[in-house]
Amino acid sequence: MALSSVSQTAFLLALLSLRTYQSEVLSEPLPSAPEFLKVSVNSTCQCLHLQWTVHNLSHHQEFRMVFQIEISRIKTSNVIWVENYTTTVKWNQVLHWSWESKLPLECAKHFIRMRSAVDTAKTPGPRVWSSWSSWEEADVQNSLGQDPLFVFPKDKLVEEGSNVTICYVSKSHQNNISCYLEGVRMQGEQLDPNVSVFNLNHVAFIRETGTNIYCKPGQGDRIKGTVLFVSKVLKEPKDFSCETQDLTTLNCTWDPGSDTGLLKQLSQSYALFESFSGKKTLCKHKSWCLWQVAPESQDMYNFTLTAENYLRKRSVHLLFNLTHRVHPMAPFNVLFKNVSATNATMTWKVHSIGKYHTLLCQVELYGEGKVTQHNVSVKVDGAHLFSGLEPDMEYMAQVRCANGDHFWKWSEWTQQNFTTAEAAPSEAPDVWRNVKTVQGRCVVTLFWKPLSKLQAHGKILFYNIVVDYLDRTSVSELLSIPAPANGTELPLSQCSSQIRIMANNSVGTSPASVIVVSREPGNEEVEEERVKGTEDGFPLSWKPQPRHVTGYLVEWCEHPQDPPCDLQWKNLGPNVTSTVVSSDAFRPGVRYNFRIYGISTERVPYLLARKTGYSQELAPSDNPQVVMTNLTSHSFTLSWKNYSTESQPSFIQGYHIYLKSKAGWCHSGSEKAVLSDDAAVCCKYKIDNPEQKTFVVENLQPESFYEFLVTPYTSVGEGPHDAFAKVTTPDEYSPTLIRIILPMVFCILLIMITCYLKSQWMKEKCYPDIPDPYKSSVLSLIKSKENPHLTIMNIKDCVPDSIEVLNKQEGTRKSLTETESTKPTYLYLLPTEKRYSSPGPCICFENFTYNQAASDSASCGHVPAPPKAPPSQLGLLTSPENLLKALEKNYMNSLGEIPAGETSLNYVSQLASPMSGDKSNLPINPPEPALCSEYKMQMAIPLGLASPPSSGSSSLSSVTLLDEGEHYH
Amino acid sequence: MDLRAGDSWGLLACLCTVLWHLPAVPALNRTGDPGPGPSIQKTYDLTRYLEHQLRSLAGTYLNYLGPPFNEPDFNPPRLGAETLPRATVNLDVWRSLNDKLRLTQNYEAYSHLLCYLRGLNRQAATAELRRSLAHFCTSLQGLLGSIAGVMAALGYPLPQPLPGTEPTWAPGPAHSDFLQKMDDFWLLKELQTWLWRSAKDFNRLKKKMQPPAAAVTLHLEAHGF
Repeated sequence: MALSSVSQTAFLLALLSLRTYQSEVLSEPLPSAPEFLKVSVNSTCQCLHLQWTVHNLSHHQEFRMVFQIEISRIKTSNVIWVENYTTTVKWNQVLHWSWESKLPLECAKHFIRMRSAVDTAKTPGPRVWSSWSSWEEADVQNSLGQDPLFVFPKDKLVEEGSNVTICYVSKSHQNNISCYLEGVRMQGEQLDPNVSVFNLNHVAFIRETGTNIYCKPGQGDRIKGTVLFVSKVLKEPKDFSCETQDLTTLNCTWDPGSDTGLLKQLSQSYALFESFSGKKTLCKHKSWCLWQVAPESQDMYNFTLTAENYLRKRSVHLLFNLTHRVHPMAPFNVLFKNVSATNATMTWKVHSIGKYHTLLCQVELYGEGKVTQHNVSVKVDGAHLFSGLEPDMEYMAQVRCANGDHFWKWSEWTQQNFTTAEAAPSEAPDVWRNVKTVQGRCVVTLFWKPLSKLQAHGKILFYNIVVDYLDRTSVSELLSIPAPANGTELPLSQCSSQIRIMANNSVGTSPASVIVVSREPGNEEVEEERVKGTEDGFPLSWKPQPRHVTGYLVEWCEHPQDPPCDLQWKNLGPNVTSTVVSSDAFRPGVRYNFRIYGISTERVPYLLARKTGYSQELAPSDNPQVVMTNLTSHSFTLSWKNYSTESQPSFIQGYHIYLKSKAGWCHSGSEKAVLSDDAAVCCKYKIDNPEQKTFVVENLQPESFYEFLVTPYTSVGEGPHDAFAKVTTPDEYSPTLIRIILPMVFCILLIMITCYLKSQWMKEKCYPDIPDPYKSSVLSLIKSKENPHLTIMNIKDCVPDSIEVLNKQEGTRKSLTETESTKPTYLYLLPTEKRYSSPGPCICFENFTYNQAASDSASCGHVPAPPKAPPSQLGLLTSPENLLKALEKNYMNSLGEIPAGETSLNYVSQLASPMSGDKSNLPINPPEPALCSEYKMQMAIPLGLASPPSSGSSSLSSVTLLDEGEHYH
Repeated sequence: MDLRAGDSWGLLACLCTVLWHLPAVPALNRTGDPGPGPSIQKTYDLTRYLEHQLRSLAGTYLNYLGPPFNEPDFNPPRLGAETLPRATVNLDVWRSLNDKLRLTQNYEAYSHLLCYLRGLNRQAATAELRRSLAHFCTSLQGLLGSIAGVMAALGYPLPQPLPGTEPTWAPGPAHSDFLQKMDDFWLLKELQTWLWRSAKDFNRLKKKMQPPAAAVTLHLEAHGF
């Protein structure tokens, strides 16, 4: 303990001696502690601003002093900032220092103190500090007002990416205050019971109107907030450049980058400063600025472009010589003079850039599909001669200029078009011919191709054709064909002739193209060869000719299917023996024919070869139209003679005949094939010869159904497998039968016709008319001469006493004698003789003498009784009333003119009966009223039939007329 | 009327008098002033149109302000917007307003709101928003003119603005940007409420101004006899 006291004392003594030494050295009094004059808070920048002074400085004293400043937050012991501030201090000087707080100053109390020392940076040794000043308090919370809630900082402006601290101050001691950043709740930390802070890191730009931050207590609708304005970071201007067009004005341009303008802050401004002249100008535009060049000759310029906003300033520099930044204006007044067929002179003017400067101009000429370029030096007026031009050709010339002394940039182009004058055509037209003989005369059709623009040298107006006859017997002929004709037909007086064709424009005539027409026909017997086309065209080749030729020519039709076929030709040199003919007009599936000619030295063409082929073969799209003939029970013949093999989309190699049958097996000569379309199995016959267009299908089954199809086959496939024709083979015997039946039918018909024609004769012979006694001449004779009262007995005068009803025995035919042994059922209509006078029903007697078949019809329609029906079953009919009713129901109503109460006995002629013989229809179809009336009354009854029966039913007074199985009443 | 029987000359004189006065009957005079009815109808229609127009404009502007101002349930206290004319009024008070007072209140309100709205337009940062606001201001100016027309038709004088009370929208130094946004919000909200109220006001006026169906008979009696 004693030891430490001693050491402390020694240390203090040493310190004291040191201070005494320093005082002696400086001979100056030590500065006392600084005295605060004012501590203020600037809420806008969140700054603490200090003002203080240093006492005990004499008038002449001026010290370089260091002030150590300490700032504490909330309480003095919580020091958050220590800074040494060095400055030169004079007597009675008020010193200033500012400190920007990260935390809004309204959020917490701050305490500041400082001490000073003489700056001993030049002299070694430790600083001797003054004593600390007393703590100064900066408390803004007391002056906030009466609102219960505050949010700080107010409307702060920061750059993007900054860190910002937000706080709220609550005076209502509410703890459930929540704060939001753009609607999203923030998590903060409690600084003291009434203050919470929120740290926002790397804030981002959201909108020009700022980022909204607001707090609200849990209860009530009070809301407090602030807007944080986040500006984009101001960048340096890019691509800063200056140039002049006329050496009087400089145009400086740059890329401004993104706009940093906000609701709180204007967009960045730009200023241009030139250091040599010291002039400065504020730019009105964001990306360019004009600078007036000084009248005095200032060559060098050093520009500083400064972009500035509230938060930041950025600058770029540019140093240049004015004459090196000349960007001339585009040349003007471009004209063409002395334009001929091959030459033209172009002139132009330029904007002057001073009499000491020469412009370099670049001239370009576009024409004939190429570009030529020339450089010309120009002071004021420029000129350039274009030579070697094509006649009647349109050219485009353009010119631009730059500073010839110090190249910087080309001016814009100035363009102008011109056309050279016309000249005579330079080439003979390419001519070909087609020779034919019409009525013994040669007719030549000439074709020529229009001259190209480079050959025509102007607009072709007409073609001159001169025909010279080789045998000199005829005079030459001259024709003129106006353009744009590309051919003409020319009847020749004689075949052997030489034809010259020349094209003419407004200036002159082209060289002549010569064609010689020979009397002898060409070698038309040349065999045709097939050629296979490729994507590039048809490769054609031919044998070199032993005799001298001036060239070869290949001709073809581009549209062989559509006349006119558009004849094309191609001239080839004498040493060429192959070529490839290509055309955009070639289509797949079209056969093209090529003829190769050799041109003799006498200009006579002769045929060398014929080629035919397809650019691409296609499978046939159609099958032949087949005609079937000679159909027998075992074979038929197919024929398709109209099928043209030439007009098919590929070379026909043959035909396939498909035959479908139910049998499913194939004879020799055919093979089984499965069609891919419907997987049907059929027999396939093959014909290898494309010209064989008939086929006999044999070995067929009679009365069988077949389907057949004829389709061509090629190297690329067959025709379509659709539309099978159908055929059914006939019966094997039907022809024989037909041979028998037809004569028989004929004979029958003949007999029927004969019978019809001889019917009267037949009738007279076979069934003459029965004479009518009423109409007999004998009757009138008797009446008039012998007894006027004599008359014919009428049947109605006879009163029958009974009617016998017999059941018909169907299915059996019995003789009259046999009927006696049967047991007929008798229906007693008139049981007693006393009742004879009562009216009876219509009783019909059928005269079956005339027609047995007609009797079956039961023309009178009486109800047939069942063969063995007991009388009891006929109870309803047994009583006269019932019977009458039944009869009336079925017949009486239909008797028409015959009175119901009149009993009559009639003979019925069956021949007059229109009824059918179906007895079952009787109840359903009652007899027509006219039925009875149409029958003629009979008065003659054969005795054999009318006599009463001798036995059996003799007790019954009845009249029974029976036939086999028939019943009559 | 007391017509004696047999006084045919007197009856004829009456009929002639009636016919003589017919052209002077306002209800039959088609070439005369149709009254304020059509003007009120047009003003009502313009109010509904502006209401529709404001709905779109407010949506754009509140999005421009950002959250929470564009949140549908945002309902802040009406703090800094006390100078804005208030559209809400007690129902009984509203019913008891006479035509002159009703129209005067409308005219004054839109005069102030138009002035504030122009201030809003000057602040807007985007050109598109400025165009929309300028268009709406023009329409609102038209509404103001229509109200003035109705008042003139009814013979009411236009309210004169008091000197020095020209409303301004320049915030004071203590006015924060957040409060400014709040004021903008309230301006739009109050404008919308005023348009709703005006529609009701003009509808009420319209019904009131419709002439009764028996007007011709009444006029005949008044003039003829």
